[in-house]
Amino acid sequence: MSNEFHIVVCGSIVPDPLQTLEPVQGAQGPELKNEMMLPAVLDPWAGHALYEAADLAVKNPGSKVWLVSLGPKAKLQQVMMNIAQKVPFELVCADGSASGFTDSFEVAKVLAQSIEGIQGMDKSKLLVFGGWQSASRGSCAVMQMVGEMLGISEQFQGVDKLTAGGGGALEIMERIEGGAYQVSVCTGTPAVLGWATGELPEPPNNPQVGMQNMRLVMPALQQAKPANVQGSSLTFQSVELPQQRRETRVVKDMPVDDMAREIAEWLNS
Amino acid sequence: MSDTVQPQRQEMEADIVCVGFGPATGGFLTTLSRALMNEDGTPLTESKVMPGMPPQVICYERADDIGFGVSGIVTKGRSIRESFPDLDLAQMPMAHEVTEERVAYLLDPVGASRRSAPVKVADAALKFVARNHAVELPWIPDFLQKHDGMVLSMGQFNQWVGTQIMGSGLAQIWPGTPVAEPLLNGRAVEGVRLVDQGVDKQGNPDAGYMPGMDVKAALTVVGDGPVGAVGQHLDRELGLPEGNHQREWAIGMKMVVQLPEDCELKPGTVLHTLGYPEPEIFGFLYVYPDMSASLGIFVPSWFDNPVRTAYRYMQHWMMHPYLWKHLEGGTLRSWGAKSLQESGMQGEPFLAGDGFARIGEGSGSTNVLTGSGVDEAWATGVQLAEAVIELMREAKPYTKENLEAAYVQRRKKSWVGKEAEQAAKARDGFTTGFIPGMLGMALSGITRGGVNMPSRSRKPWERIPRIEDYFKGVVSEQELMQLRKECQAKGASLHDALMNKAGWPEVPLDGKLLVSHQDALLMGGKVVANPGYADHVTFADSYSCSVCTEQVCTEICSGQAISINPEGGAPLFDREKCVHCGACLWNCSKPHPEDDEHTNVRFGAGSGGLHSAEN
Amino acid sequence: MSTILYLAHTETDGTLAKISREALTAAQELAEGMGAELAVGIIGADVSAAAESIGSCKARFLGVSGDEFSQGRYASDVAAAEALFKVVTPDVVVAPASFRFSRAIPGLAVRVDGRVDTHLTGLEAENGNPVAKRWFYRQRMMGEFAREERPWILTLDPGCFASFEGAGSVDVELVDAALPEMRTTVTGIQAPDADEQTIRPDAKTLFVAGAGWTKKQSDGQSHVQEAEEVISQFLGVTKASLGSSKSLVDISGEGQAVISFLTHLHQVGQTGSTPRHTKGLATCCHGEEPHVVGWRFINERRAINTDASCGWAQGKADVLYVADAFELVKKLNELLA
Repeated sequence: MSNEFHIVVCGSIVPDPLQTLEPVQGAQGPELKNEMMLPAVLDPWAGHALYEAADLAVKNPGSKVWLVSLGPKAKLQQVMMNIAQKVPFELVCADGSASGFTDSFEVAKVLAQSIEGIQGMDKSKLLVFGGWQSASRGSCAVMQMVGEMLGISEQFQGVDKLTAGGGGALEIMERIEGGAYQVSVCTGTPAVLGWATGELPEPPNNPQVGMQNMRLVMPALQQAKPANVQGSSLTFQSVELPQQRRETRVVKDMPVDDMAREIAEWLNS
Repeated sequence: MSDTVQPQRQEMEADIVCVGFGPATGGFLTTLSRALMNEDGTPLTESKVMPGMPPQVICYERADDIGFGVSGIVTKGRSIRESFPDLDLAQMPMAHEVTEERVAYLLDPVGASRRSAPVKVADAALKFVARNHAVELPWIPDFLQKHDGMVLSMGQFNQWVGTQIMGSGLAQIWPGTPVAEPLLNGRAVEGVRLVDQGVDKQGNPDAGYMPGMDVKAALTVVGDGPVGAVGQHLDRELGLPEGNHQREWAIGMKMVVQLPEDCELKPGTVLHTLGYPEPEIFGFLYVYPDMSASLGIFVPSWFDNPVRTAYRYMQHWMMHPYLWKHLEGGTLRSWGAKSLQESGMQGEPFLAGDGFARIGEGSGSTNVLTGSGVDEAWATGVQLAEAVIELMREAKPYTKENLEAAYVQRRKKSWVGKEAEQAAKARDGFTTGFIPGMLGMALSGITRGGVNMPSRSRKPWERIPRIEDYFKGVVSEQELMQLRKECQAKGASLHDALMNKAGWPEVPLDGKLLVSHQDALLMGGKVVANPGYADHVTFADSYSCSVCTEQVCTEICSGQAISINPEGGAPLFDREKCVHCGACLWNCSKPHPEDDEHTNVRFGAGSGGLHSAEN
Repeated sequence: MSTILYLAHTETDGTLAKISREALTAAQELAEGMGAELAVGIIGADVSAAAESIGSCKARFLGVSGDEFSQGRYASDVAAAEALFKVVTPDVVVAPASFRFSRAIPGLAVRVDGRVDTHLTGLEAENGNPVAKRWFYRQRMMGEFAREERPWILTLDPGCFASFEGAGSVDVELVDAALPEMRTTVTGIQAPDADEQTIRPDAKTLFVAGAGWTKKQSDGQSHVQEAEEVISQFLGVTKASLGSSKSLVDISGEGQAVISFLTHLHQVGQTGSTPRHTKGLATCCHGEEPHVVGWRFINERRAINTDASCGWAQGKADVLYVADAFELVKKLNELLA
């Protein structure tokens, strides 16, 4: 039996992981040096969530996928050109900071409001997806608060697998300590799932999907409402890069036996 | 995979498809998108593939983002200012008006530079007036001046332009989408084919296989630069107009450096150097507003050294006292490399044909006398857009005849065309040497192309001498044999070993600005390759490689992505390290087995590369 | 006087995990620094043993117990935490960032109209107010911050505080937690086979295998099978956790002969994981910047590479051994066996 899901994926942009990041003090608190210049990508965990959502929607005809994103419009537009070719979705954009230094509660509030405002979304069919953490704040807290604000008490974090069974039941595998999984069965929607890596590879670029998504993405960006995420007293006393350089002792021309002995002693110490 | 059903190649239709997003396509799409809708909200013309809608315009860019790439530029920006009359450079990161220009001749402070007798004589004479081992030219010839111009980061400029185009909703620019080839029907182009995804190194179907889609369009705009796969394909299939050739190239290797706090260089300063580390290598340094600078060197195809890794030369260049006094204590922010088509008008391909038009550097627009490319590229894009708008208005099809009349003639009659004529032979002197080259530039510049130095044009692969011959007197054949053996065993290139032998000092790595080549690749270029794509560098005839003793491809490779195969035969290629500079294409000492105008290396459309937008 | 509520959950055997004891130390130190009262709230099937194991801690002890609380589920855990909170009405809540509480505790912030900061690596009182520390942007920068909103809910990462030791008998006030309709049932735990497991977060040592293991060696051949044997023998004798460089993981994607037990989960670095171990030994890996970023929490670093000028030599490792890893690790295996 097939289920119809209304899947809302929460996900925003983070700096391209290969960039060099440096904190600076901005007018509103800490920010990244040249933040608006840094190339951005969709947060990798949110990406996994989005690909899982699209896959679930394909397997359950009648389902729909929305991507709810809080981020600066101009940057989101750029990132959309990278991900809109991957899978079909409808974008809901809140135009505001995607900084990792923003209070997670404030972010959750904006996301929950954006989800509530989605036209045609049926809460009884709702699955809220997102990354279980992010490459910016990495708080692992936003999804839970979004769920609470939407009144959803079935929540899962570190999800690698979701199987939708007949009758709407959901079997979910969550990461727990020691590389193990906790397996749970939830009777059905609504539920919140914070994804770890999932099981799907990144889909190839499909220009047709891109063309189709873009018809909705550009208007969504134009209609994006400004989002205020400054409503907290969170203040940073400092943000610093760790000092990394060490004095390296280079050991050459030492017999292998002596090297092995030295390493063994070190490992056993 | 053989027992599973392979997905079919899909097809999609657009009205106009563009290949490559650089300044030329930027100019094209900026101009076109402004005209596609009339003021009353009706489309200029109706889309043929989506009736009722304005024409569907799509652009595919190979790099993972429209801002990725490398180039610090100084440009008069005439055509850019024409497109943006209210241009405020302060709104664009890493942009500034030119405030000061200097050209310096650098003497050799380490004694390892390979200087001919006349150069040595000149050096000896200049020594007495030199400061910091350099002599600044008292005056800059008109044709080289960039007064009233601007310094820009190509990546930031592309981002700025692209964002506006996409914001208009009238064109889509898709990065991360390499185009494999044009869809040719005789001499007509009917669209493009994207590269296959989900394939192994050799291009065989693998997990997640998806054959590259065919995107059909009435007009294909080819703006994929000098080493772009579509432009190259067209040149191979259609040939070049009689008498034209693309034999002159250069590799530009560049960095963005965070200048030390006490650096006195002012934003908008433009320095150009010549004479060092080798007389054939030119250098530049442009200062941006935020205490950063774009700097680098150009290694030209007429630098007849078979061992020519630009990276180490760039390090020696930076450490020249004339520059090091500004750079010492600085930090590497970005790094990359790019091939430049230096044949100019002599390398011009067929600019238009049935269903296609060529714009930008790959269309021979770079002015080799003034050393200007971005302004010209942008202008050709604008000119094509104006032509297309005219044809749309008149409901004329994109035939060779119509495009020739509307675009090619417009281009020839414009300043781009006229200045290109004057510059056409300006660099010919360099084919015989550094001093004739400098004299030739001056001659062509002063006479506006009236009098030019004669040329001795050779195909790139013909220029490359044997290492034994080039290093005669510096390294004996026996020593060379020994070095070869050692390097082959390590899979390392000969470059460093030979430069050491030639007297170049070791570079004192400081982990900040003077970093290893691989660190520059990762910290500066942030180079990466997406999985599921085939190798885009291939060798036509592995036998040629197996008997090749120069293996210049491994020496020049900007990312050390091409390495000697310890088992012999064709070199190894590591897609993960490729910066897509395309230098391998013209740095090969063996001809292509079927086409001796080209080398044995084929450079195709590939995914990935630089991930730095600060350039 | 303000109050701090320390929250913990029992493990399946009724004890408190090390991470929970560490969080207690943090809570206690914070209470002292703030001059606040400390309350301990424990959630589990039976909380008495856990409470007694930390009984010497001067605090009021509360608990929510029963079969519904034996396993981690969001709905039951957050309900229990809310019930405990309502009894104490603290200004600050301190809890371990275990998987179970990382799932449930952030939601508490919404229920009690508070704010939450998670995965802290430092917590102390400055002038009677809490100041927290944590990493941002995937462990690439450390931020120190405070806030005025109360209640302030905090979860702590492992390894940042000493584990609280001190048993004693205590009376635990049991609190009733009202549960909504429970729609989720935990049906089981899938644990990996101990011998197969090569990612061992609790190991003292991280062993990183780089792409060099699969490359051609001095005899012109690659020895992937031998590399596998050497590496797995090392992991067997040292019980080290296995990590890998991106390049080695990527090679696996391209169908070359590779170390069969390596997956993308092993990848350490900017686009992989940032594990925490006391020691790290890198082998056949160049020590390039994006990889070394993943070594941030490896205190002592040594590397084996044939190239004396590889990245590890540039201030990234404490010691670089210039040697053939095949030969050296084999010797090492003999010595350690």
